[in-house]
Amino acid sequence: MRKRGFSMEQKKARWGWIFVTPALILFSIFSFYPIFTAFYTSFYNKNLLSLRPPRYIGWANYQYLFTSQEFRESVINTAVFTAGTFVPLVVFSLILAAFIMSINKFQRFFQMAFYAPAVLSSVVAALIWLLIFDPRGIANQGLNTMLGTSGVNYHWLSKAGMLRLSTIIVYFWKYIGYFTIVFVSGIGSIPYTLHEAALIDGTNRWQNFWYITFPLLKPTTLLVSVMALIQCLKTFSTQYLFSSSGAPTRPINVITLNIYNTAIKDYRIGRASAMSILLFLVMFLFTWLQLKVSKTEEVTYM
Amino acid sequence: MKKISSVMVFALTMLLFVSVVGAQTIELTYWTHTDDNRTMIENRYIEEFEKMYPNVKIKRVVNEASKMGDLILTAFSANNAPDLFNLPIEQEYGYMIHQRLAPVNYAAVGYKDAQELIDNYQEGTFDPISMDGVIYGMPLELTNWSIYINDRVFRDAGLDPDKDWPRTWEEMADISEKLTLRDGEVVLRRGFDFRYPYYLVSVLPMVEQLGGKLISDDGKTAIVNEAAWTQVLEFMRDWGPHGRNLGSPTYPAPRKIWNKDNNDMGMCLSGYYQQGRLKIDNPEFHASNEWRVVPFPVFENAVNDVRASYYGHYLVVNAQTPKNKQEWAWKFIAYMLDNPWEYLETVQILQPRKDLLEDQAFMELPYMDVFMSDMSKSHAVFLHENGYQFERFIGDAVEGVMLAGEPVDRALKTLKTRIQEVLDDVY
Repeated sequence: MRKRGFSMEQKKARWGWIFVTPALILFSIFSFYPIFTAFYTSFYNKNLLSLRPPRYIGWANYQYLFTSQEFRESVINTAVFTAGTFVPLVVFSLILAAFIMSINKFQRFFQMAFYAPAVLSSVVAALIWLLIFDPRGIANQGLNTMLGTSGVNYHWLSKAGMLRLSTIIVYFWKYIGYFTIVFVSGIGSIPYTLHEAALIDGTNRWQNFWYITFPLLKPTTLLVSVMALIQCLKTFSTQYLFSSSGAPTRPINVITLNIYNTAIKDYRIGRASAMSILLFLVMFLFTWLQLKVSKTEEVTYM
Repeated sequence: MKKISSVMVFALTMLLFVSVVGAQTIELTYWTHTDDNRTMIENRYIEEFEKMYPNVKIKRVVNEASKMGDLILTAFSANNAPDLFNLPIEQEYGYMIHQRLAPVNYAAVGYKDAQELIDNYQEGTFDPISMDGVIYGMPLELTNWSIYINDRVFRDAGLDPDKDWPRTWEEMADISEKLTLRDGEVVLRRGFDFRYPYYLVSVLPMVEQLGGKLISDDGKTAIVNEAAWTQVLEFMRDWGPHGRNLGSPTYPAPRKIWNKDNNDMGMCLSGYYQQGRLKIDNPEFHASNEWRVVPFPVFENAVNDVRASYYGHYLVVNAQTPKNKQEWAWKFIAYMLDNPWEYLETVQILQPRKDLLEDQAFMELPYMDVFMSDMSKSHAVFLHENGYQFERFIGDAVEGVMLAGEPVDRALKTLKTRIQEVLDDVY
């Protein structure tokens, strides 16, 4: 009787499962479990301090959020921050990556210089920028010098518009280097022969970038845009530190800060969980949309 | 075989021994906030206590004061809270309401009953930490704020600190105007500025001076006497960068830079403990006789003579800690708090025990008469299950009118709506 064995494909698949199982277990414990717990908790009226069992209230937390002015403001603040940060992040990191790859010297130096802020903790970064945006700090001094004014306070940390701009600047400064490095590796993975062929065909550097590099960078652009979007929607530490340091909270009360205040300051963990589930759904929707849109434009090197 | 059996018997005996010894050792975890002077004396108390009771080990964990609330809450929600800790009473109040704190073990702290404990302290000391006749904490410190003045800054502006110090909030604004130095719109030296995050301690009493309240006596209505609230919000709006430009929450904390005597802060709001910090930060200025403390101002049209609220840090014990450990925790707390003079002299914090307050030497301490006079005209800080949340809402209103250019009536309406919403949910 012939012994029935596994095919090569099945063996590969089995080893594949063995290798990914530890990651799946960790992911389940630290990501799926909290998500399911938050979803479950969002249907309860639960006080974080209370020893009494939580009370089931169905969709009431979600209904409250859809009528809450504070939550509506948080959604607007998050949308403004994301729109103001996400687009410049993707565009400028691509431009910087193209610049770094186009020069022959100091490539490593520029990569390190741009990446350095990403290594700093968000708290330290926000503290540095608080000093810069202080009314007596270099942001006011610099703008006064540039605009030829004297002693004008531009209210970086107080006027709603300027405060929002300040948080956008901090975030942009912190993450631009990280996404630049991702684009650099994306550009580096495009076979050089394609550029050579284009050059032989008489393209200039701009045409080479626009017709060769840019279309072949679509997978990297997609990755960067998904990551940048999720990062922007999750922004917290800059807004938290700015508001803790005296800046008015309402213009920068993004959803994550609202979740923190609702759970930790107000003890309403059920309502905070409902907010986090809504934020999760928004991030999930945007990621799915981006993947869906890009699916038809997958890139292969011929 | 015999050898293996002997090894196993030995191992089991050792295991049993370790278990018995381990079971007898009481390990207490004590979380508190940063204060170098207090750390110094409390570490010594721990050493002494452990020597007296070798079966007790105490682990003292120090956290940033601003982070303590979050850390304790997270630890409690994870059922991993310390055995004993201290927090400002505004935060501890919620823990008491939700039965997270163990009642004081009167015998362990050396008293016959609650009444004997109450009689030993200044009247009202235990009111904020009592519920249904049961006391849940021992006072680590009771603090109220008055105004510290830098005489040099006054003289630099042509003012006489003996005569020109502010009695009213209107005078405070006018004198601050004279003391303020600016480069265009940018303030280089402030006359005075508020301690912005602590709105319940110093801004709510300003409203109360004018006859206003945060919530009605029956606890059902938010914002009593809108005219009083409007006047205070208008005062804060005028104080800010879009008004008389005298200060702002976005400038560095006044209390910290006042100590430096760098000609950038004329007055600040602080407690008696400021003198201890000043002695460390700037001993020359501390010894200079170039500073003074004056009472918390009142509005010219005040209807109540109310000064900044006093607040406290109480040492409390976790209700989830086993009973035998709770008893040792209270014994340790009593051991530490049996040194009110050392806390006062070394840390500059007041534990209002009657024997301390009635000591002649106590009233002779620098400016203690000012603090005690202000305290006699004040009351404990506003306490409510959602007090912390209300303070954030008041902060949003004040910062909205001061910084974001929000009209006072709209800020007040929003404040009222937000607090009322919480009250309606609670009652």
